[in-house]
Amino acid sequence: MIRVAAVGDIHLGPDGAGTLRPAFDTLSERADLLLLAGDLTRHGTVEEAEVVAGEVAGLGVPVVAVLGNHDYQSDQEAGVAAALDRVGVTVLEKEGTVLHIGGVRVGVAGTKGFGGGFAGRSGGEFGEPEMKEFIRYTRRCADGLRDALEALAEAGCAVRIALTHYSPVPDTLAGEPLEIYPFLGSYLLAEAVDAAGADLAVHGHAHMGAEHGMTSEGVRVRNVAQPVLGQAFAVYHLPVRTSDGAGPGTGTGTGTEAVAGRAAGVR
Amino acid sequence: MTAADTAEYRIAHLRDRLASEDIAELGVRIEQRGTGVALYGTVSSPACRAEILRLAEEELAGLPLHADLVVVRSDAPEHPEELT
Repeated sequence: MIRVAAVGDIHLGPDGAGTLRPAFDTLSERADLLLLAGDLTRHGTVEEAEVVAGEVAGLGVPVVAVLGNHDYQSDQEAGVAAALDRVGVTVLEKEGTVLHIGGVRVGVAGTKGFGGGFAGRSGGEFGEPEMKEFIRYTRRCADGLRDALEALAEAGCAVRIALTHYSPVPDTLAGEPLEIYPFLGSYLLAEAVDAAGADLAVHGHAHMGAEHGMTSEGVRVRNVAQPVLGQAFAVYHLPVRTSDGAGPGTGTGTGTEAVAGRAAGVR
Repeated sequence: MTAADTAEYRIAHLRDRLASEDIAELGVRIEQRGTGVALYGTVSSPACRAEILRLAEEELAGLPLHADLVVVRSDAPEHPEELT
């Protein structure tokens, strides 16, 4: 069993330093990894990212993150990712990473994702170049997610998790106004998850949404936006399928592995 | 036009300000309710809540405000969810 802790939308700034740390300090007792589902900062500045880094540095469990739209607000997303990387956080964008947890290869594929809406009520690549690019950007995120999940399967991961900021399904948006669903997620992300397969999909972004949802193919989806959870993080216990469980030479410790990926890459 | 007539535009302007100013808050619902305006949702800190209310009182001056803004909790969870 793999214990997955996750939270998104923590929106930290200088005034938020230390607010999550007491809860995060209990993580090593209750979880094997921590996923951060984007919107870690308020305005996407490096200064705010340093606050986030301080909250998650040295927790004793691997931390894997994607960025959210707030983390892009100041056009410093590379600096935000670098600040997190400096304290050992693996920041994913259209790529995956393999963690070795108690001899089990656990893969996390991540992308921020983007909007567009859900099947039957979605935007399309038509008309103005801005509209076409809107949907094409989402499609690139979804393609990267699918390629990364497939590469994690090829790398022998017994557990695979899709990590996004935007939602892959409308279920977890329940509570948000219907009119803004196209800005909260896209079915293209769910289609990618279902095509490649995953054991769990985790996202944030929808503060007024619901925690529980599912893709068309039955992959469990969890909205871990902190306002939705009403706590510092959630913990999900994922079973490990024994038929393709621990790969050879994985050892018993916890660590990360870089694996050559396909088009989008896995690291 | 009266204040009530233009409420929907003023609410839209408040939303723009919450998104574009230092507060960068997109998670608050702001809706016309009767002759007043309701603000509700979860915010990240007491300072954030105070700033939202200050901006709302400035932008929606003259309209009754009904605020129900909750500060997010940062406690560790008590139970995991078992996914079978």
